[in-house]
Amino acid sequence: MIIEDQLRAILRDVLGLDAARADALDADTPLFGAMPELDSMAVAGLLTEIEDRLHILIEDDEVGGEMLETFGGLVAFVKAKRGE
Amino acid sequence: MSRRGPRIHDYAGGEFMLAYGDTSGPQLLVLQPLFEEMNRCRVLIASICRTLADDSIGCWLPDLPGTGESPRGLETIRWQEWQSAVQAAAAVVEGETGRHPAVAALRGGALLDHALAVPAWRLASTSGRSLLSDLRRSAIASGSDPAHPAGYTLSTDLAEALAAADAEASPAARTVRLATDDRPADARIEGLPLWRRPEPDFDAATAEAIARDIANWIKA
Repeated sequence: MIIEDQLRAILRDVLGLDAARADALDADTPLFGAMPELDSMAVAGLLTEIEDRLHILIEDDEVGGEMLETFGGLVAFVKAKRGE
Repeated sequence: MSRRGPRIHDYAGGEFMLAYGDTSGPQLLVLQPLFEEMNRCRVLIASICRTLADDSIGCWLPDLPGTGESPRGLETIRWQEWQSAVQAAAAVVEGETGRHPAVAALRGGALLDHALAVPAWRLASTSGRSLLSDLRRSAIASGSDPAHPAGYTLSTDLAEALAAADAEASPAARTVRLATDDRPADARIEGLPLWRRPEPDFDAATAEAIARDIANWIKA
């Protein structure tokens, strides 16, 4: 599964999005601050789930900013972390 | 069905425990997830307990000191008190039923199951370090003080013990994970990580899959 689809599945599982909303996530879809399900507690769970499933470690000083602004930002962050 | 419950029990000097089901069959002490995950899993765990109770398995659900319905504040709790509380809860089960309970531990609950020398079933066990990361990150994301994340104030003793706590390797433990989690496990089940949901949520298929695996394990 490509990273984009893995992240869609994680967002669906963590936030309880329905399949249509998860499938519609594209690079420009805004996340933190725009998606009502994604509050600060949910961000924490989302990042831990990403660490567990995609085998990366996220440092505290990397949390926030562009990586959570849009779906494309999150994809780019995870790809950079994985060296892809 | 009159014994399905839940019934309310007292343990460890004023702490709160619910009990479901018959007292004459196998008995199960359920160790709940910790912190926010406990709230998110309330409905899931109640459903699992009712299903198991209908299958003649007695379920006991303690709220650890400083959590849930406990009269005490979390900031006063030391790690050792949680371990002692698990033992006290098991002693109540033995007193009420004459049977040693097996343990089913979900998520952070598995950090405490070794307080009892009994067979343990574990779902998606996680490390204390990972739970602390969740709390710290939620504080960072909300712009609040990382020392008091999301209203959870931990004593220094509890935070230090959690940082070092992991589910103890045990040949008597059955570790179950969700199919989406590829870390080592004895079995994988199809289900949703409801402990991650920002709002408490429920999925009947997840609850049934968990209850089925516990029932097969405890009866084996």
